[in-house]
Amino acid sequence: MDEWKPNPAIKPHKKRSWYLAWKYKLMNQRTLRKLCQTGAVLFLLVTVIVNIKLILDTRRAAYEEEEESAQDYDDEMLNAEVARHPVSNKKVLDVEVYSSRSKVYVAVDGTTVLEDEAREQGRGIHVIVLNQATGHVMAKRVFDTYSPHEDEAMVLFLNMVARGRILIFTIKDEGSFHLKDTAKNVLKSLGSQVAPFLSWRDMWTFVGKKGGEVYGEKHAKSPALSTWGDPVLLKTEVHLTSVEDAECHWPDTELNRRRKRFCSKVEGYGSVCSCKDPTPIEFNPDPLKDNKVFDVPVAVIAGNRPNYLYRMLRSLLSAQGVNPQMITVFIDGYYEEPMDVVELFGLSGIQHTPISIKNARVSQHYKASLTATFNLFPDAKFAVVLEEDLDISVDFFSFLSQSIHLLEEDESLYCISAWNDQGYEHTAEDPSLLYRVETMPGLGWVLRKSLYKDELEPKWPTPEKLWDWDMWMRMPEQRKGRECIIPDISRSYHFGIVGLNMNGYFHEAYFKKHKFNTVPNVQLKNVEGLRKDAYETEIHRLLGEAEVLDHSKNPCEDSFVPDTEGRVYVMFIKMEQEADFTTWTQLAKCLHIWDLDVRGNHKGLWRLFRKKNHFLVVGVPASPYSSKKPSSVTPIYMEPPAKEEGAVAVPAVAAAEQT
Amino acid sequence: MQKINKNVVLALLSLTSLVFLLFQLYYYKFYLSQKNGAVFSKVRGSLSGQDSTRWHVVRKFLGLISSHNIPVYLVDPLILGLVDKDIEQIRSSPDGPSPECKYFCAPRDFTTFALLDKTWKHEVGLFRTAEKMGFQWLKIINKDPRLDGMDDLSGTEIPLHYIFKLASHAIHLVVFYERSGNYLWHGPLRLKQHMDRKFVPFRKLHFGRYPGAYEKPELLLISIDDLKVQIPKNPSSFLEEMSHSRFLECRYREARAFFQLYPDDASLDAVEFRKKAKSLLHLAAMTLNKLGVKFWLSSGTCLGWFRQCNVIPHSKDVDLGIFIRDYKTDIIPAFQKAGLPLKHKFGKVEDSLELSFQGDDDVKLDIFFFYEEDDHIWNGGTQAKSGKKFKYVFPKFTLCWTEFVELRVHVPCETLQYIEANYGPDWKVPVKTWDWKSSPSNVQYNGIWPVDEWDDVIQIY
Repeated sequence: MDEWKPNPAIKPHKKRSWYLAWKYKLMNQRTLRKLCQTGAVLFLLVTVIVNIKLILDTRRAAYEEEEESAQDYDDEMLNAEVARHPVSNKKVLDVEVYSSRSKVYVAVDGTTVLEDEAREQGRGIHVIVLNQATGHVMAKRVFDTYSPHEDEAMVLFLNMVARGRILIFTIKDEGSFHLKDTAKNVLKSLGSQVAPFLSWRDMWTFVGKKGGEVYGEKHAKSPALSTWGDPVLLKTEVHLTSVEDAECHWPDTELNRRRKRFCSKVEGYGSVCSCKDPTPIEFNPDPLKDNKVFDVPVAVIAGNRPNYLYRMLRSLLSAQGVNPQMITVFIDGYYEEPMDVVELFGLSGIQHTPISIKNARVSQHYKASLTATFNLFPDAKFAVVLEEDLDISVDFFSFLSQSIHLLEEDESLYCISAWNDQGYEHTAEDPSLLYRVETMPGLGWVLRKSLYKDELEPKWPTPEKLWDWDMWMRMPEQRKGRECIIPDISRSYHFGIVGLNMNGYFHEAYFKKHKFNTVPNVQLKNVEGLRKDAYETEIHRLLGEAEVLDHSKNPCEDSFVPDTEGRVYVMFIKMEQEADFTTWTQLAKCLHIWDLDVRGNHKGLWRLFRKKNHFLVVGVPASPYSSKKPSSVTPIYMEPPAKEEGAVAVPAVAAAEQT
Repeated sequence: MQKINKNVVLALLSLTSLVFLLFQLYYYKFYLSQKNGAVFSKVRGSLSGQDSTRWHVVRKFLGLISSHNIPVYLVDPLILGLVDKDIEQIRSSPDGPSPECKYFCAPRDFTTFALLDKTWKHEVGLFRTAEKMGFQWLKIINKDPRLDGMDDLSGTEIPLHYIFKLASHAIHLVVFYERSGNYLWHGPLRLKQHMDRKFVPFRKLHFGRYPGAYEKPELLLISIDDLKVQIPKNPSSFLEEMSHSRFLECRYREARAFFQLYPDDASLDAVEFRKKAKSLLHLAAMTLNKLGVKFWLSSGTCLGWFRQCNVIPHSKDVDLGIFIRDYKTDIIPAFQKAGLPLKHKFGKVEDSLELSFQGDDDVKLDIFFFYEEDDHIWNGGTQAKSGKKFKYVFPKFTLCWTEFVELRVHVPCETLQYIEANYGPDWKVPVKTWDWKSSPSNVQYNGIWPVDEWDDVIQIY
């Protein structure tokens, strides 16, 4: 009966039993479950720990590696290079050009690229060339067209600028006095409307594209002779083209890559950047057979005259037997353009922070360059020293190769130089002839390492001594009676007309007419005869053979030397003691050779050519060769002009110069 | 509720652990592939002799450089070590095919070659060809130390190391430069900020932790593992040289600062003395090198190098140090033969030996012998008239190469400690009056020589 009685308790019981059953069932599984659970948790824990360990390990390893390499290899953190000329993507350039009596300036996109308000300087037409794609300044020139011939230089320059470049002109002070029609026409052809009518003290600015549009022009006429035109300020916009349009499409070679880099940076080098027919930048001259100077380092001393350097390096790299790997160009100052030129030719260049001023600066630059050369080439016994304003003869290295052993073997030698101070067109004749001289000519010469390291370097003039290095080297304390070997016909040509000690007049008078050898492979004559004792024998032989000239005639007259060829003549001049050069200086003056100081002498003897005859001059009685004078002959004495303005002190030779 | 929670947690945890497991697997695989299958190539290498990546990369590299006429030579210390063991055999059978790949097949991350700077022209073409062949390359440049001593020159960074990488193997090409003093120099390897520091395991490279100085090696062309390579003619002496090759550059910047404070003596006397000291040092170095005696710059000469990179003009002599274990009896006759007569000899080989030779015009060459103890090194001094002994104590040091007055010479690597021991903390201040018995800060009184030994330990000529 119980069964049907609803029993409230039964439910729980039933439930309970189910639960219990379940529980019982579970009780059996629980151990299993617990096992599973613990297993899972354990497994989990282990994985987590292992993982964490792994992560930590790799982290630490990576960190250590980084740190270690950081310690080892990060000594020098370089500042991230900052582009110096941020190139904006803007297609338009704002150009401002100002012209006035005392100041000019040009600003491109707010950056001043030219500013000149110095007094007594920068007169004439300033020209700036911009790259039409990037707006970078490629060239800056000033042509003092108030003075003669400067307009010709300007025309030359403008013709060299590639089509498409942007040209900016502005006048400071005066720019029309010697601006000839040719130049005016060139300016007109560039699109200037004012140029043909530019006159005295006008102010003028002009911006245009070569062979294209005109961006602006302004002009202020001078109202009267004594006054200047009002200052003019031109503001205009220039539209940039794409880079592809601004470049030439040369075949992609190593050389052309260099060329491209160069041509997109600078202007004014003519056909090297010509698109159609660019002039080569590699020359591959014939190698020299048995070249003894192939391993001799060549130091080119340069300043900031990149166009000179370009011309110089071209001639140097064209000389037979040149070894470009041995060439180092030393630039005095942080100038970009000379470095661009050096890189164009694939040479190595080193810049030198300027120390001191003027001549002392050049002198310090020389010292640094020579020391660096011998450091870079520790095996070298010699160094060839060149300057940036020299043309190098095609047989320059051949000349040195044939003579360099003398410098090694003959202790009485100071240097070998490619330059004959007295070798002018009318006084030099024989490319195979060498001399010994007591003066150091420089201008392309060979220096012995031992001389430099043991004697010159330790006592080189310090920066505060404003000495010319070459004058210092010529001093008896340094030269110690040693001599240099020089050729009759120079193997270098000094073309620089702007320089520290140089100007147009001086160059015209003393350098322009210098003879320069252009014959390749000249076989030098009797090189062994240049040794100390052999040379004396040779001189005595020459003097013995020489015909004594008629001393009653005026030595300055052409007729003093007979109209013969290939003969040897001798004349005797008065020379009381070793340092008495009174007569020699007068003679040099009238012969139109170097007369500013004494050059080219050897024991009171000078050797040169007159009318294709060898012409010897002996100073009597100071010279040991005086004994060759016949007793009947009276040495010629020439009086210095009474009113001499104290021999204009022009220091000898311009060296590397910074304008 | 609780139970469900527990289960969920359990499930979740299991899932996480699974994820972890997967991650682990992935990472392990990644790690393996990063190790660039060295394991596999090892297997292959040993199986088929010459099949390893390394051998192929080296062969390709040698092809690359010979196509550009660049003379490189092998300086890898591990391979040279192996080669050295078989050197006789390799020499005698120059072209014999080796039965198995023995040298270039050991799995390594890189192989090291050397290049003499002046024997190639830095053509860019090399790198273009290298790229075409599949090489990745890295160039490490730095300042040119040959111009470091000079004021104000710039624009002179030179390549010091190249690394060519192909597949899993890299070629480390060390560029050697000739320097004044007739030796070869290679630079340290320093990465710049933007460089890929994982390009190769840089810290494992054999060359580059420090700069090094070497003699110009004679080379030998050998054929190993079917590859023709140049190696230093005497691998064992090269390896020996390598272990002591560390080079210290003179501290030019500090020297300049010193001369700012104390302008250099440019008088004629100073110029003359420097010239004499330089030639005396050259002569002494030549004599000792010929005998194979290792020496270093000591005392004033070392101070001159360290402080001003030049001879101190008022020092009046040249000082060298030699370990007593390197002492040879023919040192004295060798110097005499070189034109440097013995001036005095103090002490004996067992104790406080010191030699002094007379150079030209009053310039003296002093050679101090150094005695090594457990925790210090010392040398002795003797006062001739009283027989008093002195002892100069230095902390332990090793030797490094440096360049001084166009000469490759040793100096203590731990130069600063050496100088400070000798001259005290004020070594930067020039002192003109110097008493060797009292001025040095490391001098100790060391008793008196027994009178009966005087004839032996105090010899004056």
